[in-house]
Parts: sequence; structure tokens; C-alpha cells
Amino acid sequence: MTPRSRAVLVAVVLPFTGLVTTSGNAQQVPGPVKAVQLTGLTGVKDNAKGTLNVENGRLHFVHGKESSDVTATSIEDVVTGADSRKSVGNTVGMISMAAPYGGGRFLSLFRSKIDTLTVKYRDAGGGLHGAIFTMPVGTADVIKKDLVAQGAHTTAKVEPTAAPASSSTPPDKEQKQ
Amino acid sequence: MNRILNASIRLSVSTLVLAASPLLAQKNQPAKIKAAAIQVEMIQSDEIKLPAEFQVALYENLIRQLEKNGFTHVYRDGDRNATNVADLVVLHSTVRGFKAGSERARQVTTVTGATSITVHCQFTRPDGTSLLERDVNGKVRFFGGNLKATYDFAKKAAHVAQENFSSPGRE
Repeated sequence: MTPRSRAVLVAVVLPFTGLVTTSGNAQQVPGPVKAVQLTGLTGVKDNAKGTLNVENGRLHFVHGKESSDVTATSIEDVVTGADSRKSVGNTVGMISMAAPYGGGRFLSLFRSKIDTLTVKYRDAGGGLHGAIFTMPVGTADVIKKDLVAQGAHTTAKVEPTAAPASSSTPPDKEQKQ
Repeated sequence: MNRILNASIRLSVSTLVLAASPLLAQKNQPAKIKAAAIQVEMIQSDEIKLPAEFQVALYENLIRQLEKNGFTHVYRDGDRNATNVADLVVLHSTVRGFKAGSERARQVTTVTGATSITVHCQFTRPDGTSLLERDVNGKVRFFGGNLKATYDFAKKAAHVAQENFSSPGRE
């Protein structure tokens, strides 16, 4: 292979290598992830918005100035899932229902996909708790892997990719785990 | 004069009967079962495939609603503090039916996309003696996400518990 053809080959292959590495890194979440705690975390209000990350063997949720931790080893089960939520938010969404000619209903068609992360954990007294988080697509699996790596248990070995979109699935369709 | 007297007597008698009927109805109600505390077991769904978030939401909402309905001591599944409590009632819940529904379909069509969940609730003593069994369902028909059905179920189940069990702090 001549030096010139080698250079051409490198020039052709290099951009693709870049693409492959970026797509591989897309699953990695280096820092805290924006998340909504739907319910279950002790001392945190329902639907609290905050950031979620795994550090020092703990699931760490920060909401405003408050934070809540769950030890990874106390987690009995971590399950990820997929869901969707309205793209047009709560108050505007409700007001838009009064819009004429079904305008509000039209807006309801627009939904954005989200991930759900469900954890079951035990407190010091042995009591079972459950917490549900929603977060951007692609981040729940990374947090789950981090938790499992740091001592959390899970019953679901193989995760579904996008099957259980609970809110956007057609009626009568049962969700899959 | 007699007619007026007769009419007034009849009126007073009928008023008395109407006023006394709720009291009589209360007497006919079965006596409430004594429950110093209640322990909620994790929701089971062996036959029905239920998403994990529904299972957890059912459990957490149930505990919250029981606390709201006046049970001073609500213990979680596996709580070691519940082992020596006298008059403890254990609530076992098994999912019997689940229809996921669709929030989008609900908002667009209003009449379709309802989410419903049916749970068999069994109240027992710690030794397994059954005290009460009921099927309770939760639904979300118009507004709200699918998980709102779990809140509806929890409210109804807590109401069943309130109707049938007497907690010391609630009497």
C-alpha cells in the first residue's frame, strides 16, 4: 500500500471512527442527571424536580437545597422502563383544553419520551420502600448499571428498549417488563 | 280541632321515625374489628404482568392513604418493629386485573384510553387468620397520567380499612 493510498484510507476511515466513538459515549452520563421524583423517596415531596446521580455507593437525589440518599446495597430491585409525557406542560396544557376547535386536544398529541427508574429498597428497620423517578431518554439504564456495579440488586436482567411506554401505548395493550 | 290534633300527632311520629332511622342503621352495621396497627405487604402480581412503577406506586399510595385515614401505626413490608405489636392487621394485596390505557387517547378522545387496575385485598392477622377480603379497583378516566389509577385504588382501599377496622387513635 502506497503512502498516498494509506493517507486516503485514513482520511476516509477517521470520520467514521469519530462517529462510532461518539455514539458509544452517548450512553455515558458523566454527571448528575435531571430527574423528577414521582413518589416514594423519604423526605422528598412528590413530583420534586432535581438531579440524580450515583456516587460513593449511594443513589443521590438533590432537590433544591435538600438532598436524599439511598445506599446502593440496600436496594433490592432496580427496574428501568420507558414512558412519555405531554410536551406542553401542566398549566398551559390544562388551559389549552378550553381552546376552540379541539386545539387543546391537538396539543395533547405531542408527547416526549422519557425513561423511568424504579427502585425498591429497605430502611434500617427492614421496611420496604419504593421510589419512582423519570428522566431523559437513555439515562436510566446508565444509572441502573452504576447502581448494580456498586452493590444494588436487580431482578430484571435484560432491559426492554422501548416497549412499556405506559402513557403512549394504545389502550388495552399490556405493558411488558 | 280533632283533625288538626290528629295531623300534628302523625307529623310528629313520622318525624321521629325519620330521625331515628340513621341511628337504627348504625346499630345494624357490623362491629368494627380492632386493629392497633396495620402492616402493608408489597403488592403481588404473579399472574398479571404489572410494570414495576405501578407496583411501587400502589404500595406507596396505599401506605400514605392509610396514614391519612387515621391509622396511627402503618408498618411497611418487612418492618421488624411490627413483629410484637398486639392487634396487628396485615394487608396482602394481589393484582387481579390491569389495563394500561393511554393518557394520549384519554385526552384526545375523552371516552377511550381509561387505565384500570383491580386488586384483591386480604386483611389478616399475623398468623394468617383472614379477617376481611375485598376486590378494590382504581381507575383514571379523563385527566391525569396512568399512575393516577394507583392513587384512586389506594383511596378506596383505605376507605375499606377505615369502615371495617377501629384504630385506637381514630375512634
